[in-house]
Order: sequence, then structure tokens, then C-alpha cells
Amino acid sequence: MLMHIPSLKSKTKKTSITTLEASPFLYMPLQAYKTPLKPLVNVGDLVLKNEKIAKSNGVFAGSLHSPVSGKIIAIETESEFPHIKIENDFLDTCIEINSTSVEHLTEEEILETIKNFGIEGSGGAKFPTHTKYNTQQKNISHFIINGAECEPYLSADYAVMQQETEALLKAIQLVQKVIKAEKITFGIEKQHKELQSHLLKNAKKLNISIQIKLLPNTYPQGGELQLIKAVTGKELPKGSIPAEHGITVSNVGTLWAIYEAFYNEQPYIERIITISGEKAINRGNFKVAIGTPVSHILEEIGLPWNTENQTVILGGPMMGKAIYQPETPINKGSGGVLILPNPTNKRYNCIQCGYCTDVCPQHLMPMEFARYNTEKNIQKLYEFNLNDCIECGACAYICPSDVPLMKSIVEGKNLLHNA
Amino acid sequence: MSLNPYIKPKFETTTTVMVDVIIALLPLSILSYIAYGMQAIQLQLLAIGVALVTELISAVLVTKNYRSILDGSAVVTALLMCFTISPITPWYIVAFGAASAILFGKIVWGGLGKNRFNPALVGREFMATFFPVIMTSAGIWATTSYIQTPATHLFPGLTSDYLNSYLSGLVYKTSGAMGEYSIVAIAIGGLYLLIRNRISWHIPFALLAVFFACFWFVPDGDDLKFSLAGVLLGTIFMATDMPSSPTNTNGKLYYGGMIGLVTFLLLLGKVSYEYMSFSILILNGFSRFISLVFKPKVWGQPLDWQSRIEQIFLLTLAILGVTLAVISLDYYHMIPYLVYVYIVYIIFKFNFSFLKNISNPI
Repeated sequence: MLMHIPSLKSKTKKTSITTLEASPFLYMPLQAYKTPLKPLVNVGDLVLKNEKIAKSNGVFAGSLHSPVSGKIIAIETESEFPHIKIENDFLDTCIEINSTSVEHLTEEEILETIKNFGIEGSGGAKFPTHTKYNTQQKNISHFIINGAECEPYLSADYAVMQQETEALLKAIQLVQKVIKAEKITFGIEKQHKELQSHLLKNAKKLNISIQIKLLPNTYPQGGELQLIKAVTGKELPKGSIPAEHGITVSNVGTLWAIYEAFYNEQPYIERIITISGEKAINRGNFKVAIGTPVSHILEEIGLPWNTENQTVILGGPMMGKAIYQPETPINKGSGGVLILPNPTNKRYNCIQCGYCTDVCPQHLMPMEFARYNTEKNIQKLYEFNLNDCIECGACAYICPSDVPLMKSIVEGKNLLHNA
Repeated sequence: MSLNPYIKPKFETTTTVMVDVIIALLPLSILSYIAYGMQAIQLQLLAIGVALVTELISAVLVTKNYRSILDGSAVVTALLMCFTISPITPWYIVAFGAASAILFGKIVWGGLGKNRFNPALVGREFMATFFPVIMTSAGIWATTSYIQTPATHLFPGLTSDYLNSYLSGLVYKTSGAMGEYSIVAIAIGGLYLLIRNRISWHIPFALLAVFFACFWFVPDGDDLKFSLAGVLLGTIFMATDMPSSPTNTNGKLYYGGMIGLVTFLLLLGKVSYEYMSFSILILNGFSRFISLVFKPKVWGQPLDWQSRIEQIFLLTLAILGVTLAVISLDYYHMIPYLVYVYIVYIIFKFNFSFLKNISNPI
């Protein structure tokens, strides 16, 4: 049984995507999937918009580009969030990018551009997209577009599907040149079923054959494993590679970034996010530069930065993180900024209701993590499959006793990791 | 520093869980008032009062957890305990039972949620053990002279007298313990808890299915005497008690089914009155093991069927063994010794183990 949680998207769902004013300072995040990025610039350098400022090599290679023109004023590799700080000169002088017409690109060129333009999964995991699409002769039978934005409040993916439909479909067409899937399925939640005819109509115009799979409004429907099960019926264990089962899953936001890369010659320097929450004044879907500090976003919507009587969250309310440093930037995987009232925890004893087990998408027993984390019993944490936990937060959400389940999971995973 | 998630469902706390159970129990309380008037209500209020005071004293002296006093669980325990006893039980026995239910059923385990046995049933067994003469006398059930509203035929349209009294008996009768006067009211309470997701259908379904299936397979099963309302009360309100029942659905099905089987075996073994309490208490003891044996199959991982079947087999053997032991002990009137052993065991366990974990939520 997966659980239903309030969608809370109605306030932002239908708002049109607007561009947020650029920030005077940008904090370009150097964290990436597995390996951190190495700066290619030095303090004092002048950079142009779209210029590559950091990269990493290897299978999970990534790269980072400046979303503005300006000056590098600091490089912090040791701080809590390693970043390159850029002072915006507001001139937006772009770097020249040589491009071939999209129609004539070969498979290798497409993958190379995706890699060079720093495109990563925008759903949160930030898995390098070129690695995902480089399926190396594996037969991909099913290309699944993840349009299930199961986090409450967030509507950025909805906005892309609704307002940037053509861009999305053109990106799919392009990706298809590489992965050559037999079937393309859009997974969208039933609460957005008005998108079904909209997507089909536009796909027909572009002559792409797609299917729509309406998914139940449950949480966490947008988790990759849960989505694959809902669309194909295959239950893949955590840690398995979907491509080995003939499946590729891409997020709507990632595809939008791919469109921008190939049709507007723009690296992954901006994304669409939702700004919402009970304490937000100006809610909506916004296009923001990667590296924009959260404090600037709050300022733009007319809220002072403070952490006393509000909680600022980067990401969704279920899996996002509370932000305590105003410079914390938007990264390639952030789907939103939420301003919520402070959580009130009323801690009781676990009453063994089993709700956490009922809602766990991975079919684990989360209460045992709380039990054995306090005992620091690594063997038991392992036996209860803590490593299979996807940290979706469903257990902590439903718990009537506010048992510190997430804390146990995070601490327990550290114990397992260091064991 | 707070961790995700940052939203919580409104009105979903331990207290609301308990309030829902109290709401489901209220109709039974009202019916006991209709049947036996203020006498029944006074006993229930006394039990609630004593339970709350015991909670308060325990919180001050032992747990230091003051929030637990008013979480509603004491009220649930007190009411459930009253619903298993006669409306003419002496008040001091009820007070003793309520205090023991909280103290020996819950606090000594380390507080709400950590208790292995249903506190209400623990209270009931303490009453039977320490006041055996009164609690097991036939006189305690001779309540006819106290009845305020006698049962009547409620369906004047029905021509068949037998059918009329049968159906009326489902809606309202005056015999039995304080919570047993209306099967319809018990069922409505159960339905409410189901809709509110405070109980899942697994335990009641499996329990009743196995219990009644047993009558099919055993010849002369029809001669066994039991109280349908009592079985139903235990099924819906006691067997489903969260802390003392398994936490996953397959475990709940097995647990419910085994209670049904054990109840039937106890009836066959001539355990009168206490068959329902004993069967639930026996399975309470195994509840944690059941949760572990029936650990859900992890997403995308294979399940070791062979070892699971072996574990289920051993578990079933153990439960049946304990059941036979209880039948024998009951035959020789030695159940009180079981309670004495429990008291000694739990006090030791409390001093040397549970006390250390008293501030942990689990």
C-alpha cells in the first residue's frame, strides 16, 4: 500500500514560468554525482556566460558552466557546500559555441554534447545523463519519461509538460536517436490527467508516437524503481541499472535541459523550480540560474531571510533539506524552494502501529531502524535491509508518534557505511 | 537542525489514534448505562480515574514522560478492562485492576508501545488472580436484579418469535460483561476503526474465519458454549491493540488466525470464561516473533521461502505447545502461578533492562 499525501500544487500549478531576476552573486555548486568537480578557473578570472568553469573526468564525468558573465571572486573547496563564487556584471556576454544543425548530429556527437553541457538528472540524484544514455549496445525497449512529481507543492515538471511541451517532445526525439527505444511512455499522475490529451495532441503534431500511463496519486510514485514497476510491471532491486533490463528513465526537467542544449546552444545553467509553501508570498514556477543563492530567491519574492519563524527548504517537503545558510545555491537537482512554518514535533513512544511498514515503498520495517540505531547494532541494521531504503521520508511522515525515523536512517546508514 | 520530511498529516498523532478508539468504545459505554444504569458508568469512571492517577504517579516516579499521561491510552485501557468484567464487580477490585493494568501491563515495560501484552487483559488477569473467590464465583454474573432496562423484542413487525428474540439479542441484551450488551454496537465501533485506519481488517478477518472454520471440522463443535459478543469484543478491540500485535500485514493475518485457533482449542480444553483473554495473551507473547518471521519481502529482493516455512512451522509448534500448557494449568487451577511468575520476571526485567531504555521512543 502506498500512501496518499495532499498534493498542495493548486497554488502554483497553472502559473506561467517566469524568469527570476539574476542574483548579483552566484555560488556555483561543485558537488556532483560520486566525484566532486575540479575548478578550471582561478580567483580573479573573468568568465563569460556559458563558459565551462569546472569539470570532472571518468564514467560519471560532469561539468559546470557559468550562468552569467562576471568575475570569480572566491573558490571554496573545503566549505560545507564547495562552490565557486561569481560576481555578476549583468552584461550577459556569452561565449561563442560552435554548433552543427541538430538534424545532422551523430549518436556520439549527441552524447558528447550532453556530457560537455553538464547535463545531469534534474530529479535530485544528479546522475550524469550521458552515462545513462550511453547504453553500449544494450537493447532499450522502453523509454520512460518521469512526469510523476510526487512531492507536494512542486509543480515545475508540470509546468514544463504544460508550457514547454514542444521543447520536451523535441528533446525526446533527439534522445531517441541515441537510445532507440521501441516504446516511449510518459508516466503522469492521475491528478494531472488533463495533460494526457495535451501531450498526445502535441506528439501527433511532431509525429512522435508516445503512450501515456496514468499513475495513482501516491507517494513516492516518482521514485525510479516505483515508476518502473508501475509502467512495466518489473520490480528492480535498489542499485540495479535500468538499462540492463531494457529501460531508460528520464526526468521531464532533464529533457528540458537537453532541449536548451541542442536548440538554444545553452549548457545546463538554469532550470525551472517551484517557489511555494505556506509562508511564501509570491508563489509560482520560475526559471532560475544554477548557483542562485536561496536568500536571493527569498528577496525576489519579498521575504526577508530568516530561519527563526520559518523553515526554508531546498527541494520538496518530503525529501528536501532545510537550509540554514543563506548562500546555499540552487543546484541542478533542486526542484523547488519552499518556505514553510517551523515543524512542531510532539514526540511519543512508538506504538507499533506498523503504519511505517505499510507505507514503505521498499517494503522495509522502518521502526526497526529506530530500535537498532539507538543500540548501534550494525548487524541488525544490515539484516533489516537499511541499505535498501531510498530515504523518501514516507515513514517519518505517517508516524503518529514522531519517532525520529529519518534521523535513525541517516545515522544508521553512516554506521553501515563506516563498518 | 531538522530533518525531512517537513510536512506532517494534520490530526494524526498517538492521541488522535487513542481518541478514535475511545469514540468507537463510547456506544458500548452508553449501552452499559442503559442496561445497568449509573452503577456501570461509575465503575468505568473509577477505572479511568485510577488509571490516570497511576499514569501520573508513574510519570513522576519512573518514566518522567508527562506527555504520556494524557495521550488517551490510559482511558482506552481502563474502558476495555471494564468491558470484560461484570457490572456488579466490587469497586475496589476494579480500582485494583485498573492500577495493575497500567503499572504491570504498561509502565514496567517502559511505557506505552513497549508493552508486550494487552494492558487491559493484564489488569483482568490480575483481578482474577488476587480476588479469585469473587471473580470466579457464579454470583458475580447473577446480575438480573440490577437490570435497569430489560431486553425486549425490538422488531414488532416480525411474526416469528424465535427470529425476533434472536435479532433483538444482536442489538441489545443484558447478560455478560459490561462491553457485551450489543453485537451491533461492537461491529459499528469496529467499522469506524476500520474506516479511520486504526485497525486493519487482517486480524479480525483471519481470527473470525479460522475460529468459525474450526466448528466445521470438529464434530460436536456445536456443543461448545461461548459468548459471541465476547469473542467479537476481543476480536475488534483487544486483538487489534497496536503495541501488542504484529506490525506487518502477513504477520497480522497469521496472528489473527492463530488467535482464532487457540481460542477454539481453549474452548475444547474446557477453559471457561477466560478463553478469549488467554488466547489473545498467548499470541501477544509471540507478537514480536511473528512480526520478525513475517518480515515483508524487500522490494526487488528474493524471499527465502524454505527458511520462512521452517520458521512458521516452529513458531506454530511453540504457540500450540503454550496453548496446551495453559489448558493443563487451567485444569489444575494453576493459572495464578503464571501471574506470579510474570510479576517476578517483569520486575527483574524492568530493573535490569527496560529502565535503561525508558527515554528511547522504541
